[in-house]
Amino acid sequence: MTNKLEVRNLSKRFTISGGPFRKARAMHAVNDVSFDLVSGRVVGVVGESGCGKSTLARLILRLIEPSNGSVKLDGSDLRAKTPAQMRALRADMQMVFQDPYSAIDPRYTIARAVMEPFEVQGRKPTGTEEEEVDKLLNMVGLNPGLASSFPHQLSGGQKQRVGIARALALRPSLLVLDEPTASLDVSVQAQIISLLEQLRDDLGLTYLFISHDLSLVRYFCDEIMVMYLGRVVEALPDTNAAARHPYTATLMDSTFAPDPKLRRIIAPLEGEVPSPFDLPPGCAFAERCPRAAAICRNETPILSTQDSHPVACHHPL
Amino acid sequence: MLEVRDLEVAFGPIAPLSGVSFSLAKGETLGIVGESGSGKSLTAMSIMGLLPLSGGRITAGSIIFDGQELTTLAEPVYRKLRGGRLGLITQNPMTSLDPLQKIGPQVDVVAKLHLGMTSREARARTIEILGTLRIPEPKTICDRYPHQMSGGMKQRIVIAMALAADPDVLVADEPTTALDVTVQAQIIRLLDDLVKKRDLALVLITHDMSVVAQTCDKVVVMYAGRAIEHGPVEDIFHAPQHPYTQALIGCIPKGLSEDEHLTGIPGTVPTVVNYPKGCAFHPRCKAAQAICSTDRPGFVTKGQSAAACHFAGAVQ
Repeated sequence: MTNKLEVRNLSKRFTISGGPFRKARAMHAVNDVSFDLVSGRVVGVVGESGCGKSTLARLILRLIEPSNGSVKLDGSDLRAKTPAQMRALRADMQMVFQDPYSAIDPRYTIARAVMEPFEVQGRKPTGTEEEEVDKLLNMVGLNPGLASSFPHQLSGGQKQRVGIARALALRPSLLVLDEPTASLDVSVQAQIISLLEQLRDDLGLTYLFISHDLSLVRYFCDEIMVMYLGRVVEALPDTNAAARHPYTATLMDSTFAPDPKLRRIIAPLEGEVPSPFDLPPGCAFAERCPRAAAICRNETPILSTQDSHPVACHHPL
Repeated sequence: MLEVRDLEVAFGPIAPLSGVSFSLAKGETLGIVGESGSGKSLTAMSIMGLLPLSGGRITAGSIIFDGQELTTLAEPVYRKLRGGRLGLITQNPMTSLDPLQKIGPQVDVVAKLHLGMTSREARARTIEILGTLRIPEPKTICDRYPHQMSGGMKQRIVIAMALAADPDVLVADEPTTALDVTVQAQIIRLLDDLVKKRDLALVLITHDMSVVAQTCDKVVVMYAGRAIEHGPVEDIFHAPQHPYTQALIGCIPKGLSEDEHLTGIPGTVPTVVNYPKGCAFHPRCKAAQAICSTDRPGFVTKGQSAAACHFAGAVQ
C-alpha cells in the first residue's frame, strides 16, 4: 500500500479587495484538508455546491496555489517544484473536467485535441501520430474514424470520451475527475462510469472523483470524503459505512432510491448554508444541526486522524 | 382534471412531439420522465399554451382541462387560465423572477390579476402563502430582491407565484434540477404536501428516475418525442415492459449490492432531425428485430400499464 497522494492541511483563501465603500473580505474555499490517496483506489469527494470540492481538485493539481498546506505526489512535495518540473509532473496527474464542451478547442479536430498534451509537453508518442490517435480513441471506446471530426459533430458523451482520451494521452497514474458526468444524460453517464471502471482496471489508475451525487459516489468509489463549507466533515472508509456526521446523514436522507417501495418521509434540513464569507465560529453546520450544543457554536471540531472512520463532530451519531 | 390525448406538436415541417397521451385526477402526481430531447418540456409548454411563443403549434390531438378543450382555446381565455387555474413552475428560478422587482409585488400581481384582489388583500395572501411554504419572515422577504436569496428560496418564491391564484393543475418542469440535493428534498417535500393538502393535480417533469420513484403515482416514460410506456409507478419500476424503461432503470446506481454493475445504453439519444424510422429506440435496443426498424409499434396493454414495443414484456 503506497500513497499516490498525501494532502496535508491544505487551505485556500480567496480575498475580495475592498474599495472606498467596502471592506476587503476573505473566504475560506478549502480549509485545513488532509487525506491520503492510496495507489489504485478511488476516493470520492462529495458535497453540495460551494463546499469547495472543485477548488480542492485544482489545489491538488496545483492549478491554483494553496494559501497553506502541502500536496505530495508519490512522496515528493509539489510546493518545492519549479514551473518546468511542475509541467513534467503534470504528465502523471491529469484532470477530466465537468463540461466537455468547453474543455476542447472547437477549432481542433478530435485527432489534434487528443494529441495536444504531447504538443504542450514537447513530447512525441512512441509510434506514429496516427497510431497513437487510433490507440487513444480505441481506449475510450470511440470509433477511430471520428479522428477528423470536430467537437460540434460529437454528442456530449462522445466529447467526454475525448476529454478522457486527452487526459490519458501522457499515460498518467492519477486522474482527478471533476463531475465528469454531471452534464450527461443518465444512459450516457452509465456508459462513462463503466468506461472509467474498465480503464482503472486495465491501466492501474488512481482516481479522485468529485461529485455532488451521493448514489453515484457510493457506487463508484472505495472511500468517500464529505465536504461542507470548505472542510472535510467525514471520511467514510467504505461505501456502506453508516453516517457519523449529522450532515452526512442529512445528505443520505436527501438522496432518493430509484424504487417506489423505498419511499421515505423526508424530514427536510432547516435553514440555509451560511455564507462562506461570514462563517460562524465553531462548527459551520451547527445552526442547522439537530444535535448541536453550546460547544458546537464555539469550538471547531477537528477531523480525527487516528480513527478508522474520521468525523469532525462533537456529537457524532 | 387533465387529459392529454395523442398530442402532436410541429415546428414548421418538423414534428418533435407526437403520440403523447395521459390523464390526471385531483390529488394525483404524474411523472413525465425522459432524457434530454425526449419532448418533456414541449409537453409542458403545450399544456400551458405557450408553444406559439417559440414558433410551435399543436397539429393533432387534444388537451382537456376540467372538461374544456385547450388546443382550440382563444388566447384571451387561455390567458385567464394560465397562471390562474393552471400553474407552472419552471426549471430555472433565476430566470422566472424579475431581477429588478421586489419579491412582494411579483407574487401579489398573480392574485390581483386572477382573483381580482386589491393590493392590500393580495399582499396579505402573499404573506400567507410564503408562510405555508415555510419561508422564514415572509414580511421581510417581500421587500427583498431575487439576487438577495439562495436558489432554493427563489424556487419557493416561484412556487408561491404558481400557487397564488389557487390552481387546480400545477405543471412543474424540472423544478429541482438546478438545486442541491438537500434543497431538492425540501422542495419535493413541499410539492408533496401541497398535492395532499390542496388536492392539486401535479405534472412533474423530470429526468431523474429517483425523484419519480419518490413522488409520483403514475409515470409516462418518453423517448425521442414519444411516450413509450405509461403506468402506475410500481409497475414502471418493478415490471417495466419497454426495453428502454428497463435499460433506463439499469443506468441508475442503487447502491444495494457490491457486485452491481452499470452498463449504460449504447449510442446516444437521437435529435429531432434524425429520429430513426420504426421504433425510435431500435438502434440502441438489445432486443431489436427487423420489424423494429420499419414499423412503428403500437401500445400493448398489460394491466394498468402500456408499452409501445413490438416485443413488450418479452425481454427482461
